[in-house]
Formats: sequence, structure tokens, C-alpha cells
Amino acid sequence: MTAFPTIAPTSRSFEGGDWPIKRFVSQSGSEVRILYGDRRTGHTLSLGYQNIDDETVEQFFQHYYEQKGTYGTFAFNTIESTVGQGWEGEADFFNAGAAVQYRYSGPPSVQQVRPGISNITLNFVAVGVS
Amino acid sequence: MAKYYTGRDGRLLIDGLEQVKVTNWSLTGSLEVLETTTLSDAQRSYTPGVQEFSGTAGLLYYNDAANRNDAATALKKIFKTSGVASTDTVDMRLRLVEGSTNHDVRLTAYITSVTYGASVGEVSSAQISFQGTGALTEASL
Repeated sequence: MTAFPTIAPTSRSFEGGDWPIKRFVSQSGSEVRILYGDRRTGHTLSLGYQNIDDETVEQFFQHYYEQKGTYGTFAFNTIESTVGQGWEGEADFFNAGAAVQYRYSGPPSVQQVRPGISNITLNFVAVGVS
Repeated sequence: MAKYYTGRDGRLLIDGLEQVKVTNWSLTGSLEVLETTTLSDAQRSYTPGVQEFSGTAGLLYYNDAANRNDAATALKKIFKTSGVASTDTVDMRLRLVEGSTNHDVRLTAYITSVTYGASVGEVSSAQISFQGTGALTEASL
């Protein structure tokens, strides 16, 4: 199994997801919300790596292939040395959470900018796992 | 021997032919750098990208005794009735001379712009700009 490359991203964006909530609104405008679960899911993580070498690009794609694309779920085992590099808060801030894992939300996108040098963008979404 | 270089030491050769009545030339080299700074870095870092070479030259519009006019030859690289082909490159050699030693920078280039004109009280001259293509073929500065 190819490990997720341990290089710092150039850019990172994160959205926190939400709990499974059903919302009912009456004609008077009063709202009732029902919580259907105890797991936060749907958080999204986008990572950009600029001007990296071809070998590292291939490692990202190899990881994607080993997850069978957007099918498999996985956890980033060493957040602080992979996707969380440069984050000075808690190391597990980007962890998906209990019984929740990330999967790819789409294929990696690579743009070659010169021989041997490329930019790559990765997008993940967190989903509950049984 | 200590030496300052001046315009007296400057030469310009196009396609191996030393140009007559050159008034000036300049060459600019640049390097594009690609940023490799990441989220955990405190200082910016870069990796080299592609290089670029371009320059300009000025030539008096002058016919010598053999009816050779280097300025006109350069102007014809742009002022022509047929289009410019990919093979219309010139071999530019920009030289500073020190006795019998030549300090050359040589490159293959396209003439990208030419300007010439006539004014009362002035000698007609042509200004050309060129854009290098590919790597330098000589750099003996």
C-alpha cells in the first residue's frame, strides 16, 4: 500500500461538515430539527501542491489508484507529516473523526508547468464508515 | 591587464557577418523561477524554470562601397511580402573585443520588431529587437 506522500501542501482548504439533521419548518415559521446521528460527516479537504516533481505526482496517483478512485475510504495516519503540515494547532484537527474516514471526491488533477515539474490538486470528502 | 570596455569594443555579428555602422546593442537574459514555498515554510523558496534571452540593436542605414546595407538586411526580416517562416532565424553574436580575444554571447533568434525612419538633421538608422529561441550556443564572457 502506497503511503500518502509526506510533503507539505502549498495550499489547503477545509470545510467542517455537519451532523445528519432533518429540518421541519411550519407555516408559522417555527422550526424543528431532528438529529439522526452522532457523527459529523461531509467535511471537505482540498490540497494543492505546486511545483513538485514527477515522482511525487506519481505517488499521489498511486495512492488514488489503490483506493480504487473515489470508492475506498482511508485515514491519514500521520496528519502532522502529511496533509496537516504547517498547521500549528492540534495535529488531529484534520482527522475525519470517530467512525468517519476520507475518500477522494474526484480524481487528482495535475497540470504540468515545465519538464519534470507539475501542480496537483486533490479533493477529499469525509463519509461515515461502519 | 585592467580594462574598461566601451562602445569601441562592441561588435555585432549576424549570421557570421560583422555588421557595419552599429550604434548600440543590448542583451537581456532572464530566468523564470517557480515557487516551491509550502504551508510549513517561513521563507519563500524557488526552483529554476525557463530562461529567456532578448535584445535590441541599432544600425545606421548605410550603403558601403560594395552596396552592402546591413540595416536593410535586418529590416527585410520583417518587411517582406511573404510571411515569416520558422526557419527565418538569425545567428546573433554580441561581442566585446579585447585585443585578439573575443568575449561573445551567441544565440539563435527571431527578429521581432524593426523600426526605421528619416528625420531632418539626423542620420537614418534602424532599431531592431530580437527574441532568442533555445539555449545560448556560446557564452564566452
